Amino acid sequence: MPSADAAPAPARASRRAGGRRPRASARSGTVGGSRRADTLAGYAFLAPSLVGVGGFLLLPVGIVAGISLFRWDLVSPARWTGPSNYQSILTDPAFGRSLAVTAFFVLLVIPLQTALGLAAALLLDQRLPGSTWFRAILVLPWISAPLALGVVWRWLFDPSDGAINQLLGHRVEWLTSPTLALPSVAAVTVWTNVGYVALFFLAGLAGIPPQYAEAARIDGAGPWQRLRRITLPLLRPTTFFVLATGVISSFQVFDTVYAMTRGGPAGRTEVVAYAIYREAFVDFRMGRAAAMSVVLFLLLITVTIAQQSWFRRRTTYEMG
Amino acid sequence: MRRLFLILAALLLAAGCSIAGGDAKGRTTVTFRLWDEQVAKAYQQSFAAFEKAHPDIGVQVQVVPWADYWTKLPADVAAGTAADIFWTNTSNFGLYADNGQLLPVEFTGDWTTSVVDLYTRNGKLWGVPQLWDSIALYYNKDLVPDPPTLTWDPAAPDDALRATLRKLTVDSAGRHPGQSGFDPQKTRVYGFNAAFDLQAILWDFVGSNGGTWQSGDTFDFADRPKTVQAVQYVVDLINAEHVAPPAADTNTNGDKALQLFTQGRMALFQSGPYHLKSIQEAAGFQWGVAPLPNGPAGRVGVVHGVAAVASAKTRHRDATVEVLKWIGSADGQRPIAEGGYAFPGVTTAQPVFVDYWKKQGVDLQPFLDSAGGTTFPAPLGPRVGAGQTAYTPILQQVFLGRLGVAEGLRKAQDAGNEAMKG
Repeated sequence: MPSADAAPAPARASRRAGGRRPRASARSGTVGGSRRADTLAGYAFLAPSLVGVGGFLLLPVGIVAGISLFRWDLVSPARWTGPSNYQSILTDPAFGRSLAVTAFFVLLVIPLQTALGLAAALLLDQRLPGSTWFRAILVLPWISAPLALGVVWRWLFDPSDGAINQLLGHRVEWLTSPTLALPSVAAVTVWTNVGYVALFFLAGLAGIPPQYAEAARIDGAGPWQRLRRITLPLLRPTTFFVLATGVISSFQVFDTVYAMTRGGPAGRTEVVAYAIYREAFVDFRMGRAAAMSVVLFLLLITVTIAQQSWFRRRTTYEMG
Repeated sequence: MRRLFLILAALLLAAGCSIAGGDAKGRTTVTFRLWDEQVAKAYQQSFAAFEKAHPDIGVQVQVVPWADYWTKLPADVAAGTAADIFWTNTSNFGLYADNGQLLPVEFTGDWTTSVVDLYTRNGKLWGVPQLWDSIALYYNKDLVPDPPTLTWDPAAPDDALRATLRKLTVDSAGRHPGQSGFDPQKTRVYGFNAAFDLQAILWDFVGSNGGTWQSGDTFDFADRPKTVQAVQYVVDLINAEHVAPPAADTNTNGDKALQLFTQGRMALFQSGPYHLKSIQEAAGFQWGVAPLPNGPAGRVGVVHGVAAVASAKTRHRDATVEVLKWIGSADGQRPIAEGGYAFPGVTTAQPVFVDYWKKQGVDLQPFLDSAGGTTFPAPLGPRVGAGQTAYTPILQQVFLGRLGVAEGLRKAQDAGNEAMKG
């Protein structure tokens, strides 16, 4: 029986494999054939998003890396310069300053928006009357166009006729003072993001089984202890997500700065993304702009990996 | 970055829509780009007449606002999606001419000589003169009944200009600068639009004081005593005399002074004919045009011209040259003059423009005098645009009073010349 069974299979397989070298290779031909078909089918299913990722993500990244080795102003012919753009930006104090401005911006925005978002989520989670409305209102700035928000805030901050100074009854040069400009832009960013952060924390809170808090209450834990020892540790996956995406998007902030200050006064709000824009589309030095983008890209990868490894040691995803 | 990329993609797409060469009627479409939506109305009329005479050519007018114009143009030129014909100014055309991106103009017309000179480079004319600007002084007749003829002298402890501007500037309590209790934070009416505005303010004061700005293609304004003195004078009008709005208001909002003037909150507004239409539409009071303040070196104003250039990459060269010839002719420019939009580049169309404003009760003679007298050269050179971009933030700090004038001009000159090296 077994020999009778075994016989036709290689025969079929060998036909498929083209008749050469019957036995062993024929067998692997059978397996390999279906694997190849599976692989093909897999790629076919992936094709739509592969085209998207390849054409709109990987290809542009490659082009940017390529442009960073040239000197090009869009109008004159591009000239090969090798790595000199990298040398020039890494020794340029303006690029160092824009990295420092960005770091300061991230330090202002991230703790504030995370703390305020968490506080808002904890309050909304109390299910007080009207909290659905508040939740919607809180997210409104996030779903609005950042450029439009920036323009409106610039009017509000206008030193002579702006609503804020009218309310204060006192002239404060919010966006042109070297000390106030960056905090003002950061405040608008925090205001924009709080609702979005709160939404994620709300979802995280909904995922925590109520038994834990209940058990703790029975054991005599107060509200503060329950928050510190139960809620916050169990929110770590959410916190990681919110921090990781928040840090990346703060490093890349552009529209708010573009609309409110255009990097001024004297570069005090010139974050890296704006510096890249200025380099490319104001000064028309595409090579240097591309090199700065590559540096920012490497920097963000490093920051994200660091964040991930820090959280990996401290995060529980199981709540069962 | 993601959003930046999306903006770019959208720009390229929008530009891509304009490359299709024909329209539904089977005509060749020539695209024409400019930054002034007021003058665009005149061009629409002009091209309607052109299309009647040339049934096989259609002209599509695209308005790209000034704020984005010089950002979008190089991107479109690189992508091959620039308009067939586009407006340019003197600061920016040299780069395109030197890189073979423009068709040289191989026909002649009855054009204003000064504008032809501005666009002649390496022995060839690269643009067809469209309009020109000179600088004069708009005044609000409710606040200043008679046309002011003012003099200024930075070496004198006080002069007619400063004394007049102090009288015209009023705070909410009715006090003037120099009187005790005057509160510059509550200024109701400003005397003047001293601000970081190179064409309308700074270069004119520098010129009227006998100063320089460029030597050849290089910036040469720092350590020039007459230039430093004139810039100091303008900055003092803002920060010491308080007769002009704070630079914090005008640095980032280029239209602030225009708005204050049309709201009746500014008495004197030094500017060019490019604001005639906006003032006519927005001002709720009688106004007029007076000569520039007379400085130690006389009245010296900037004369600048706008030209239309043809892209060397156009796909229908013959039709493009036809359109270019039309907008270089008196018939083609008549709507610009008749509608009162701008001083036309064709000299025979000029009286029509002056007549339009005479009928409106505005005498344009000060602009003509300013253009006919001693003039200050408009910025020139293939990379002067890049230089100006580099020194702008530094000069803005000078106007805010955060950087001394002499030190600021030195830093600005270094940054500008460095950027022009490319």
